[in-house]
Amino acid sequence: MDQSDLKHHYSQRFNADLESLRTKVLEMGGVVEQQLEKSIESLKQSEIELAELVVANDYQVNAYDVQIDELCTNIIALRQPTASDLRLVLTVIKTTADLERIGDEAKRVARMAIRAAKSEPGPNLYLRIEHLGDQVRQMLHRVLDAFARMDVDEAIQVAHEDKRIDREYESIMRQSMTYMMEDPRSIPLLMDIIWSARALERIGDRCCNISEYIIYFVKGKDVRHTSLEQIQKEFGE
Amino acid sequence: MRNNGWIEEAWRLAVVLAGGALMGVLFGHVLGVTLAVLALYTLSHLYHVRRFINWMDDPLNKDMPIQYGIWGDVYAKISRLLNAQVQRERRLNILLKQFQSSAAALPDAVVALGTSDEIRWANEAAQDLLGLRLPGDYGRPLANLFRTPAFQQFLSRRDFSQTLELAAPGNDAQRLSLRAVHYGKNQLLIIVQNVTDRYRVERIRRDFVANVSHELRTPLTVISGFVENMQADGDLCPAPWRKPLALISEQTARMQHIVEDLLLLARLEGGEKNLRQESVDMAAMLGMLAEEARLLAGRDIAVSVNIESGWHLEADPGLLRSAISNLVVNAVHHTPPGGEIVLHWVDEPNASCVVVEDTGEGIAPEHIPRLTERFYRVDNGRSRERGGTGLGLAIVKHILQVHEGRLEIASTPGEGSQFICRFPARLRAQPAGQLAQVPGVEDNYAQSNR
Repeated sequence: MDQSDLKHHYSQRFNADLESLRTKVLEMGGVVEQQLEKSIESLKQSEIELAELVVANDYQVNAYDVQIDELCTNIIALRQPTASDLRLVLTVIKTTADLERIGDEAKRVARMAIRAAKSEPGPNLYLRIEHLGDQVRQMLHRVLDAFARMDVDEAIQVAHEDKRIDREYESIMRQSMTYMMEDPRSIPLLMDIIWSARALERIGDRCCNISEYIIYFVKGKDVRHTSLEQIQKEFGE
Repeated sequence: MRNNGWIEEAWRLAVVLAGGALMGVLFGHVLGVTLAVLALYTLSHLYHVRRFINWMDDPLNKDMPIQYGIWGDVYAKISRLLNAQVQRERRLNILLKQFQSSAAALPDAVVALGTSDEIRWANEAAQDLLGLRLPGDYGRPLANLFRTPAFQQFLSRRDFSQTLELAAPGNDAQRLSLRAVHYGKNQLLIIVQNVTDRYRVERIRRDFVANVSHELRTPLTVISGFVENMQADGDLCPAPWRKPLALISEQTARMQHIVEDLLLLARLEGGEKNLRQESVDMAAMLGMLAEEARLLAGRDIAVSVNIESGWHLEADPGLLRSAISNLVVNAVHHTPPGGEIVLHWVDEPNASCVVVEDTGEGIAPEHIPRLTERFYRVDNGRSRERGGTGLGLAIVKHILQVHEGRLEIASTPGEGSQFICRFPARLRAQPAGQLAQVPGVEDNYAQSNR
């Protein structure tokens, strides 16, 4: 009786540890979401101060990254998790790495916003970038929701979303190239815009990665480097 | 009814004993046979106990095994108790359903959080406003789905005296106003209102005032410039026009002040984005302001500074200065010769306060709540003579608000007034040289290290 009580107690604390790990990741996700939102806003409105704030606040995201890694190391060292617990810890480690990169991309967008605001005004592609940015933000939001709920269907849908983002990115590229050919003086500004679009497109890819980790956690199967159709056939509704 | 079972049982025992005794007489072993019969009697009771325990596994759906005797009484009593309980449960369930359906129909989102901030219950509006999925999200920490850092801070700070306004998660177009109330043991009720419309109207009003003020600026500059020119050429200006021109220039200057103040207010109300955060040495600032007050007041009013707190304040120095300066200038205007003004910088358990105290004529209590309204005047004629814009205290209030501080006014007519600017303790900063801090983000970082 006593021993099972002890076991129960132990597993309860273990569960609490895992739960707080998940909460930490989502907390970090909230900060990253805000960073992304602000960086897109600063690009849209040419607000240098807001962009500088994004660059300055990136250290918060990094601090989360370090802290969560430490928590994971502790859990692995002290509790030797197995099965789904182990998968959760692995998922968390991978997800935070991707979130940290998303934070870096947001910082890159903010840097480009600063440069674009300082350079000569040129052809207006901001509307397109804004559209792309909103799509990417939605995607990040949804994938984090899916992470909170460990919802495979939602994760698969988010992964689908990436195709639309790729299309949008390509069309911005094509448009920029036409502008460049028309007027070479606009190249510096357009390069900044292309870089921002590229950063946003990368964020979309990282969201896809996170949804793959979610599938890995729930289904116990590594679906990286597998085509979306195959994933859907296997795990979709 | 109550004794029937016992009487019946007594009869049964008597019959059993009598039967046993009779049989004993017949067989010649009175004691032995009586004991054997008694043992059988006891066994039958044990058997009943066993049936009773079986019945108790599911008393509502099984029939009572016995209707008579003391066992019948036991069954009847327990059944009655159970039925009453079932009735009560049913009534409570109906009540609970009624309550939940009425709470579900509320236009505001309501979320009940348990002891570790997990979602216990939420109504329908919460699904739309916060993007919750019910009932799947029950038991999940709300902060996992509502990830806006401002909300996380609000939740972890556990200070629910103020409402929080922020954009809806995953939908910027919607503006939410959020309140939290404690209930029960460590449980929280989060009430979220959709204030998109109000926010939009507010913004239109604010933008309107800001735009009008901005548009007025240019014509005013032109007028004041030409009037100045006309006055400068003293000889060319005909004598009868000198007085009117002086008046025009005076009033234009006043109007310019009002426009400047309105613009500042609009900026503050818009939730000043570019708030600077610096560690401000309050002792130095109050010293300078006192010096200015002395110049303004002349020799008749004694101005002194009283520093009791060693903290610096994390604030925007320009705004802070203009807020306190406003209070000090007011104090000078309202203190008669021979009076006294004291500027305090003091600590309270959870706050640090700047107090501007004067021995002026004081303010009647009915005016105090309205003092910070725009253009509110206690005495219409007089304050205008002094060239005030009527926006000073409104500006002070808003400057304190963007710093999360509060303005409080205490006054006794005839004795003097106290204007208290109360700043929360988290804005305290170490005097320079002790600890370097990164501006504007300490809170987040502290939280992430929690």
